[in-house]
Amino acid sequence: MSDNIIIRATEVKKHFKGGQIKALDGVSADIKKGEVVVIIGPSGSGKSTFLRCLNLLEVPTGGQIFFNGVDITDKKVDINLHRQKMGMVFQHFNLFPHMTILQNLTLAPIQLLKKTREEAESKALALLERVGLADRANAYPSQLSGGQKQRVAIVRALAMEPEVMLFDEPTSALDPEMVGEVLEVMKQLADEGMTMVVVTHEMGFAREVGDRVLFMADGKLLEEGSPEELFRNPQHHRLQDFLSKVL
Amino acid sequence: MKVSETMQAWMDIAPEWILNGPKWIGDFCYDFFKSFIYDDRWMQYAEGLGNTLLLTALALVLGLVLGVIVSLIRVSWDNTHTELQPGIGKFFLGLGNAICKVYLTVIRGTPVVVQIMIIFFVIMASSNNKILAGVVAFGINSGAYVAEIIRGGIMSIDRGQMEAGRSMGFGYVPTMRYIILPQAFKNVLPSLVNEFIVLLKETSIAGYVGLTDLTRAANIVRGVAYVDFLPLLGVAAIYLILVLFFTWLMGKLERRLRSSER
Repeated sequence: MSDNIIIRATEVKKHFKGGQIKALDGVSADIKKGEVVVIIGPSGSGKSTFLRCLNLLEVPTGGQIFFNGVDITDKKVDINLHRQKMGMVFQHFNLFPHMTILQNLTLAPIQLLKKTREEAESKALALLERVGLADRANAYPSQLSGGQKQRVAIVRALAMEPEVMLFDEPTSALDPEMVGEVLEVMKQLADEGMTMVVVTHEMGFAREVGDRVLFMADGKLLEEGSPEELFRNPQHHRLQDFLSKVL
Repeated sequence: MKVSETMQAWMDIAPEWILNGPKWIGDFCYDFFKSFIYDDRWMQYAEGLGNTLLLTALALVLGLVLGVIVSLIRVSWDNTHTELQPGIGKFFLGLGNAICKVYLTVIRGTPVVVQIMIIFFVIMASSNNKILAGVVAFGINSGAYVAEIIRGGIMSIDRGQMEAGRSMGFGYVPTMRYIILPQAFKNVLPSLVNEFIVLLKETSIAGYVGLTDLTRAANIVRGVAYVDFLPLLGVAAIYLILVLFFTWLMGKLERRLRSSER
């Protein structure tokens, strides 16, 4: 396996009810270091399921996921250790409502990376500074707007210093005027060379920031390529159909 | 006319205006005197109250411990059994889950009076410690209800919270400990207080097995003082005051817990 492939998914399947429902039907993809891969597709296409399979939040019923060359679908692997290096951002933020923003950011670094409180807090404040929320460090999530929550969720994942960031429709639950601020943070992150896998409906983001776009439908990966190719010259009729509806 | 000892004692201390006043006021005050004051009878209530509070407090602790354990086993099984690898761990969790289910079904499906009599006269028949037997009986009973309250609280937490914790690399148990349980506890606090109040009142059946709690103390006084109504009214008032006090206390605590989120 080539060195710069950070995640390799081979023939990943997710079947329910003994194979009657195929949320994922054999999806293979490689994610290279420093790459921004955007997954698009109609709802129900399995793109979120695929993303969630990458860190095993969804356990595939078939196929393998390699992370840094290790097959993490192997039951003997300690998935918790690998998840520390895969940050995840959710559609509904999933901040911890009983903790302040600062506590949200420092919980995992202190408990899992065994950082001291001071270390973790100074890192957290630096991260908050970066997304312009340093002054809200002691607020609770319920006091933040949706866009602010999602920016906090992104830096909460970054606080673990992950090697790859997974985004599961990070802007879908936001009011339209807040989408921009979140995409801006993601774009910054991409510019700094973070490896990112993004499931999104933001075609503008896919086109502008994505290095590669995957198009999924009916649990299958139907087409992939640079944003340029895909958006300008879609081959598969499902992609043509999809683009005609969203663009 | 021969005057009884009690009547004499009453005559000695009763103020003039009561003795000379309307008959029903005099009768009432005499009953009150017999029920609470004569022969230091209030001491019996105090002792009964002490037993009631002790019994309730210890049973509450036992119930909470049992409830937390049972709810965690139930929730962990429900959450993980589809993904868990067959093996010794899964076997014991499954066994624990089955035992918990039987426990919940039996305890919630039978009257608490029957349970306390079984524990007192059969299971712990050799023990002379009535309070201990009461604590065991009420603790086991309360544990079943507490378990279901806590289980409901845990299940009410959005699944995204568990996913967020797991996605950062926390295992199942640490995610529960740092993320799910603190939130669940806050949510179930009102229900737990309610369960505590129910428990406090439920201990009034402890008299069935001869434990002198507040209710039984009142009943004993009724017998010796020949007063029907007042001792019962008295304990009813004491229970009511206790419940009002605990409700008020928990209301304060609850507001404080909530204020930290806003």
